[in-house]
Amino acid sequence: MEFKKKILTNDLSIIGEVNKSAKSAAIGFFVKTGSRDETPQISGVSHFLEHMLFKGTEKLNSQQVNEAFDRTGAQFNAFTSEETTVYYAAVIPEYLTEVTKLWIELMRPALRDEDFNIEKNVIKEEIAMYKDMPSFDVLDRCRKLYFGEHPCGNSVLGSVESIDKLSVSQMREYFSRRYVPNNMTVACAGNFNWEQISSLVEGSCAEWPKQNAPRILTDWPGNKKAERIENPKLAREHICLMSRGVSIQDKRRFAAALLGTIIGDSTGSRYFWELVDTALAETASMQYVPMDGTGVFYSYISCSKENVTKVMEMVVNIFNKLSKEGVTEKELKTAKNKILSALVIKNEIPMGRLIDLGFNWTYLQQYHTIEDEMNAIKAVNLADISSLIEAIKPGEFTQVILGPDKAN
Amino acid sequence: MAERLDKYVLKNGMVILGEPMKAVESVAFDFLLPAGTAILPEGVCGAANVISDWIFRGAGDKNNRQLGEALDSLGLHRYSAVNSAHITIGATLEAENLAEALDLYGDVILRPRLEAQQFVPAKQLAIDNIKSLDDDPRQKVMLKLYEKFYPAPWGRSTMGEIDQIKALTVEKTTKIVKENFNLSETIFAMAGKYDFDAVCRQLEKMFEKGEKKPLNPIALGARGEKYTHIHNDGAQVHIGLMTQTVKPLDKAYYHMRIAVSILSGGMSSRLFTEVREKRGLCYAVSAKYHCLKDLAGISCYAGTTPDKAQETIDVIINEFNRLSDEISEEEIQRAKVGLKSALILQSESSSSRAGAIGSDYYMLGKVRSLDEIKQNIDAVTVDSVLQFLRTNKFRDFTIVTIGPKPVSVK
Repeated sequence: MEFKKKILTNDLSIIGEVNKSAKSAAIGFFVKTGSRDETPQISGVSHFLEHMLFKGTEKLNSQQVNEAFDRTGAQFNAFTSEETTVYYAAVIPEYLTEVTKLWIELMRPALRDEDFNIEKNVIKEEIAMYKDMPSFDVLDRCRKLYFGEHPCGNSVLGSVESIDKLSVSQMREYFSRRYVPNNMTVACAGNFNWEQISSLVEGSCAEWPKQNAPRILTDWPGNKKAERIENPKLAREHICLMSRGVSIQDKRRFAAALLGTIIGDSTGSRYFWELVDTALAETASMQYVPMDGTGVFYSYISCSKENVTKVMEMVVNIFNKLSKEGVTEKELKTAKNKILSALVIKNEIPMGRLIDLGFNWTYLQQYHTIEDEMNAIKAVNLADISSLIEAIKPGEFTQVILGPDKAN
Repeated sequence: MAERLDKYVLKNGMVILGEPMKAVESVAFDFLLPAGTAILPEGVCGAANVISDWIFRGAGDKNNRQLGEALDSLGLHRYSAVNSAHITIGATLEAENLAEALDLYGDVILRPRLEAQQFVPAKQLAIDNIKSLDDDPRQKVMLKLYEKFYPAPWGRSTMGEIDQIKALTVEKTTKIVKENFNLSETIFAMAGKYDFDAVCRQLEKMFEKGEKKPLNPIALGARGEKYTHIHNDGAQVHIGLMTQTVKPLDKAYYHMRIAVSILSGGMSSRLFTEVREKRGLCYAVSAKYHCLKDLAGISCYAGTTPDKAQETIDVIINEFNRLSDEISEEEIQRAKVGLKSALILQSESSSSRAGAIGSDYYMLGKVRSLDEIKQNIDAVTVDSVLQFLRTNKFRDFTIVTIGPKPVSVK
């Protein structure tokens, strides 16, 4: 594994980790923008813009873009979160140059009126699709309740109303402010020729003008608000809990990842033994999500309406016990083994490696080898976990429960 | 890149397969136990789901908690699934822990404790997982589609039936385990970093018992209704649609795979272009090949708001039917590159490869090498695909919709 980097004069970062034994290569464009960078007037624009990038440039229409991707056999897509928009492709090495050229072109999209109007329907269908997925809906609502006025509470999809009102000129304006070279990282992982890819990106992107792309960075302590929303058509109770985590910049993030695994991994965690093994709930998980300048833990639990009171009592007990007694040496060791093996497995595939590489550079401006990450996990001790629990108080959570009508 | 396939057959017929991978430190393995929903007796639909949980609730000298902790301490990522033919249990882990993991899985398969106390939660979870489907119409519509499309007993629900699960007892379910964990029809498939001789010796010691016991032939019953609508006041109508096609062993298999790829392989494929890009009818629309050993179809999912449901289904069926009219050389080339690239990308993942070799062996009686697959893909031409499509017209469709209103089906 060999790390490479080049920062252009317009501050576009190009980074790569070369692994000659890989059978594929993955390329990603990481744009540091998402729903937290939106105002209510343009709610949903980051995600809608991600769709619009596939609609082509002055020279290419959307059909030509789709055909060009498919000619490379790439497995490609994009995703938008509260804070990052990522465009990626995994290909066999001989097609990497072609697919990289294509992404570079698409980063300067035409944003045509007619494409915008058709794609609006697709976005509204996507919103409708998630409405039919209460496990997603409850998370979205809980994030909003937890973050309140903090921009991280903004919905990634927006609403049907905000999307209806959005104009293509508002999108163009947002694009020109956010898709600037100093707000982007191009990352590459796997089997590729660094000189070739970095000169290709430099040759095409060095002229992109630099522009200030600020972001409001404040931590957020959260609150203990609770909401229950009843919907008679639901079959199960969908519970989301959100509590304070630590930011991606915080060294305690490794301890936080371990704590999430100890409490809420899909097997062998405290949630598993208390809730799932006993069949009180069919699903119970907790995850730590590091974010830019802040971070959260969120839990998702689903159970029957008969069990919901009992489940919430058990959850409160789990967190009370955690704050009183901390975690055991055995739990910590098991969680480390799980995370370490997950790191090994994920990073065997260039596409898996790309994501860590890109996020570490975007938010830390640092390169961490897989060994660095593994050593940081290994170094966490019981005292680190205890002081983290004391600092963040995971039992003080915001909760949203979507459930069927209690009366029936 | 000629990959190697390791194979060893125990005297009782259990097959051990392995594909070594040079660049990885992980290993993935699957045990395919011949106790899927269609193999089990009539009236116990869902027993396989209960069993796949119950056997992990204590085995050998370990109780539920001890077994769970032993598996977790190895850092392995567990996997279990039920389909019509098998209960598959497996894991992905760091290679150095393989021997220990196999010992634990040996206990789970050969010496599960099957305690009455643990039966209750295992059964309850199987029931609750079915109930949860009502809040996930997208998944539910496809499960219902496979139930309607495949003739009995292959069409039995792979999640189970609530009333039949409720009727299961400890005695009845224990008997099902004893009778159906038939080692002579079990396949063990692994990929990644391993010492094949060591694995064979270890598995031989554990599993070399019992006689060869071939599975009884299964008579095919009736298929379900052509159209089923399930009312749900959701935001979208979820559409599942499926039509028959050739089996994995058919000589036209690769022509069909290319045809499916033209229909729904990438973003330039017919369905994505016509349904989403040109008309903005859906966010999600896709089709794929879905097969059992002796039955196969092309299945398609689309989700759309109620007012657009009729147009969506009409456009989709038209695209299926129009496929045999004309196909361009460009489309064939894109489909070929897409299929070949997907193969290579999957070959980097130990868990994907373990899954693929196990499934190949069950379906085909052998494991196809990547080179063999590539050569077969390369041999496909515009004319050969068109000829295949014209002699194998998509005659009829099984359709399931879940949503506020039904569609009209011709």
